[in-house]
Amino acid sequence: MNGTDVQFAICGSAGDGTIAAGDILKRTMALMGYKVIAFDIYPAEIRGFGKCISRVRVTTEQAYSLKHQSDVLMSLNDAHAIPHVGEVRDFGAVIYDNAPIARLPEGGHVSAHIRPMQLPYGVSFRSISDRATGNARGRNIVALGYLAGLYGMPAEAFHQTIANKFATKPQAVTDANVRAFEAGYEAAIGTFKLDDVVMGSPLHRADGARAVMMTGNGAVVRGLMDAGIDCYFGYPITPATTIMERLAVEMPRRGGRMLQTEDEISAIAATIGAGYAGARSATATSGPGLALMAEMLGLGVMAEVPSVVIVSQRGGPSTGMPTKTEQSDLNMAVFGGAGDARRIVLAPTNVEGCYRCAGLAFELAEKFQTPVIVLLDLYLSNRYETVIPPKENPFEPKQATGPQGPVFRRFELTESGVSPRAVPGQAGGVHTITGLEHNELGRPSDQPDNHVAMSAKRYRKLEPATRYPGLTTIKRFGAAGKVDIGILGWGSTFGEILEAMFEAENEGISCSAMKVVMLSPLPVDELEAFFADCRVVLVPELNHEGQLATLVSGTLGRPVVRLPRATGAPMRVDEILAEVRRLAAETAAAAE
Amino acid sequence: MTESLHYVVIGSGSAGHGAATTIRARDPGARITMITMSRLPFYNRYDLPKMFKGVTDWRDLLAEDPKIYDELGITLRRNSRVVDIDGRARTIALAHNEVIAYDKLLVCTGGGPNVPAILEDYRPLMHGFGTFEQASATVAALPPGGQVVILGGDMIGLDIAFNLLEAGYRVSLAVGEQTFWPHRVEPDERAVLLKSLAKTGLDLIEDRSVVAIEAADRPARRVHFDDGSMVETDIVMPFFGILPIVDFMLGAGIDMERGVLVDPALKSSNDAIWAAGDVCQIWSDVDRDYRFYHGWKNVRVMGELAARNMTGAEETFDTADESVIEVDGNGCIRSTFWEH
Amino acid sequence: MNELLKPVYLEEKLEEIRADGHQDYRSRSLPTWCPGCGYFSMAEGFTLALKKLGRSAEEVVVVSGIGCASRFPFFVNTYGFHTLHGRTLPVATGVKQANDALTVVAVGGDGDAFAIGGGHIPHAARRNVDITYLVFDNGIYGLTKGQTSPTSVLGFRTSTSPYENGDEPLNPLMMLLAYRASWVGQAYAGHPHHLADMIAEAIAHRGFSYLHILSPCVTFDKTTRTYRNLNMQVRDLPSGYDRTDLAAAMGEAMKVDHPALGVFYEESRPTLADVMDETARKAGLSPVPAGGE
Repeated sequence: MNGTDVQFAICGSAGDGTIAAGDILKRTMALMGYKVIAFDIYPAEIRGFGKCISRVRVTTEQAYSLKHQSDVLMSLNDAHAIPHVGEVRDFGAVIYDNAPIARLPEGGHVSAHIRPMQLPYGVSFRSISDRATGNARGRNIVALGYLAGLYGMPAEAFHQTIANKFATKPQAVTDANVRAFEAGYEAAIGTFKLDDVVMGSPLHRADGARAVMMTGNGAVVRGLMDAGIDCYFGYPITPATTIMERLAVEMPRRGGRMLQTEDEISAIAATIGAGYAGARSATATSGPGLALMAEMLGLGVMAEVPSVVIVSQRGGPSTGMPTKTEQSDLNMAVFGGAGDARRIVLAPTNVEGCYRCAGLAFELAEKFQTPVIVLLDLYLSNRYETVIPPKENPFEPKQATGPQGPVFRRFELTESGVSPRAVPGQAGGVHTITGLEHNELGRPSDQPDNHVAMSAKRYRKLEPATRYPGLTTIKRFGAAGKVDIGILGWGSTFGEILEAMFEAENEGISCSAMKVVMLSPLPVDELEAFFADCRVVLVPELNHEGQLATLVSGTLGRPVVRLPRATGAPMRVDEILAEVRRLAAETAAAAE
Repeated sequence: MTESLHYVVIGSGSAGHGAATTIRARDPGARITMITMSRLPFYNRYDLPKMFKGVTDWRDLLAEDPKIYDELGITLRRNSRVVDIDGRARTIALAHNEVIAYDKLLVCTGGGPNVPAILEDYRPLMHGFGTFEQASATVAALPPGGQVVILGGDMIGLDIAFNLLEAGYRVSLAVGEQTFWPHRVEPDERAVLLKSLAKTGLDLIEDRSVVAIEAADRPARRVHFDDGSMVETDIVMPFFGILPIVDFMLGAGIDMERGVLVDPALKSSNDAIWAAGDVCQIWSDVDRDYRFYHGWKNVRVMGELAARNMTGAEETFDTADESVIEVDGNGCIRSTFWEH
Repeated sequence: MNELLKPVYLEEKLEEIRADGHQDYRSRSLPTWCPGCGYFSMAEGFTLALKKLGRSAEEVVVVSGIGCASRFPFFVNTYGFHTLHGRTLPVATGVKQANDALTVVAVGGDGDAFAIGGGHIPHAARRNVDITYLVFDNGIYGLTKGQTSPTSVLGFRTSTSPYENGDEPLNPLMMLLAYRASWVGQAYAGHPHHLADMIAEAIAHRGFSYLHILSPCVTFDKTTRTYRNLNMQVRDLPSGYDRTDLAAAMGEAMKVDHPALGVFYEESRPTLADVMDETARKAGLSPVPAGGE
């Protein structure tokens, strides 16, 4: 990547202000016009001193994933930071407090672990904070100021971000933090910079004013809000909870209604109830919650009620690893529940995609009268990217509903499979919907011909969804035409896939990548074309068995090479790259 | 199986580096830790004058590929200042509050610039050249063809002066007692040497003592002398010999004078502590006194010797004084301190 | 004529409905309940109540779960949602959240309500969702042909308790009172006119109204909750009864051997919609909290 490409990692324990420092850093970088991608890791425990890491990659052009190596590590807690010193590249920097209070045994200080090619920077965050603000609480901001000073970032931009962050607090809070920042900045001015990390100028300075830092979950919220969400029902579950928390703030201000329900079953039931009554309604959950929702989603399919379900996956099965990322709920999202219950499943690959998919999910749900699942994972839900919000709201308002004709056939067998719809309150549209198989009028029917016709209708109506205007359902990147290696991916992992693919291209490997955003129904024609162009198709994904691999391979009847990884951490670019190299060598050998 | 010994070497210069690699060669199972205030891996201080000729990246000054620390299994602790040594408990305390236990300790912290009391207040207005960071700041402060005033001299300073002249800078040298430090020079020798110096292009300032240094606009410094005269210059560099860095050892319970007092085997009065390089004063049977042996060659020899003795050898340092400075047939100064 | 002795036939019932002029509220689907089922009086009482309240059919949504009673939406001519077993109240809550103007009536049996759906009742009640919940309690699972329910009496023999039911039955009225339902009443399928009045009053109540309806299962229960037994057991609430006295309501609800008919408890407090409106007002007054974008 040309231009600036610097990844900062800030590591401390809960209570050190680690995430807050990272937050100010990434927002400032975005404000300056850099592109940012960032991911915070929190401890699973609520109390105590669990490890927090904030990683912020700052680039001139938007990066697709975090880097495997950081350029700069800042330690706010050595015990937590020590295992991460190794992630700093040669000639990168490790910044730490050189005056800890507690007496440390040998190796207890982070400086003991700095490799000969990494550059140490010891600063007394604590005493600088104490001098500047009268207490040591501001040491995270001192550290941030030091970082900013060391790399020559403009202090004013940080002041603005700090003021924004503490806007709802008394002015004294902002003032103290600015003083702490300035003191740290000052300390850096007197420091001799020995590492070779360079922050170049941002290319997109003009974008800075409009750019916002958004997480995947934050983008989901924006998408839902811009699409005019009326009702939300949810039950807290990591990593989806932040969606509900933000909607709780924003929906009442715009006349929407957010209700925390007693469980996930209630959440999806009320979502479908509100959808039946004509609202744009949504819920958000994670894998265990989706499992509880499976029966109700089947009802949504059978009764043809629009609803939107955001699912942020985490490590599974069962309670699994709530604070670790994984892509292992594809099977459940696509197939979960009783019977032949096809629904629409979208899996955005980046933060901007989360916005589009969340908003368009309402359109799709209404247009095709079906539940729509938007499948994220923890890594995408929680990672930050710079997003330039669209100038115009890109989403269509609610579709008109109403009975057609003298006899209202709610489940009329039309050519498209989509039937006229009326909502309660509309005269002439009175009807009853049910989870029982039913005839065109909605009355229970278990006649064989009827079941065949109705099942076909429920599948047929979704087919055009793969070509829905304004929605990228599948897309190929890199070289067009015939290639040796195709990399097929979905969800958050696609960022790492792209980085690996571009690197492989640089190495002269003939390859290209394809992302599948719509997992159900699958865009089969585009997939067929991709498979026809690639000698080998590799499918890296974050689960144990290779769920997308099975889905695509089974649907097309074509072999794939699986690269499933379920460690709880995001996919590693170098691991994908190694597999691509291996396959490229095999392909070359086979060709000889 | 006996537990491996922990060797701790304080200082990562020539002496420390030579010692650590020697210990590794003689005791493959030992644990070796080097502690240094430097933030860089081992580079040669004697190479710093290259910076006047455009070398600005520290990586070009490294004496060794930093990979060797991993290869040799030497833990390099940079940016770490030792604040205390407990000679009985065999522990050392670092400024960042970490305590390290050792079995055998080698002190080779070298020396820092000796600044006369009268110039103490003007430290912020003077430029040093002892570390890469100082050298970088010095180079950065010098405009092309700029003026340097070197106070004192000493063999290190003279070396820098010659490099500055070669690089096209103007250099004034305020000569004094330490101009040829560490050589002990008789008055008649001194006159010859000064005459030779004057021929090199150095502007000699004689028979005057500095009384004050003042910051100015351009050029950035004014040096005032006791006769009321004043010299304008871009930078001022003090070279009055070096003083051993031993302040952190005051609580170690070992015999010290200006430096750490060691026997010819370089062992201190504590059986587990050795010293090598500019920091130590070695007992000389000839002189019946403890003496310093400066110069890079001595320093390297001492480091390796101490390491051998720490690992079981019983060798002694050759305390015969080979320190010689003279003007050769071409009128050039030759010194055993330099090897170029 | 004694209602207990009078056989109930479909044609006769429909004739009666037509004569009463509330057939608009009945659908063309004929009820699938067994002849003599207490649930016929539910359809009758419901349509009479709607007529009495003057609600138009398209403003009304009937939400049901799974079970004999939950077949109800197919037999009335309003909007209806026949949902999943036990999920009546959450779906009804969703419908009401989407549109306050709708009259939302949730309908179910004792198994649907108190077995699989028991977890949802306290939350609908405490939130005071402005819906009406009609529970037809016949103490048995009828649709699956006669298994024990959470309100089956001790000693009851069913296909799943062939050696007599040993599980203490729930007391739905005490539960609903404890859950702070803002309107709690009891009616009896054998007293259809009273039932109709109670349904009307429950719907008219602003907030969560719970009407417990005692009903026989003529097919699978020939011994315990029969018309004959219930006719002898039911009674009126005592004269001078104070329907705002929660403790008194609890006392009456405990007398399970002689169930009282009428309104046990009533209170006026903000509904979920009121809370939502208040939340919107507070949100409009507060500064925009940072973060989350």
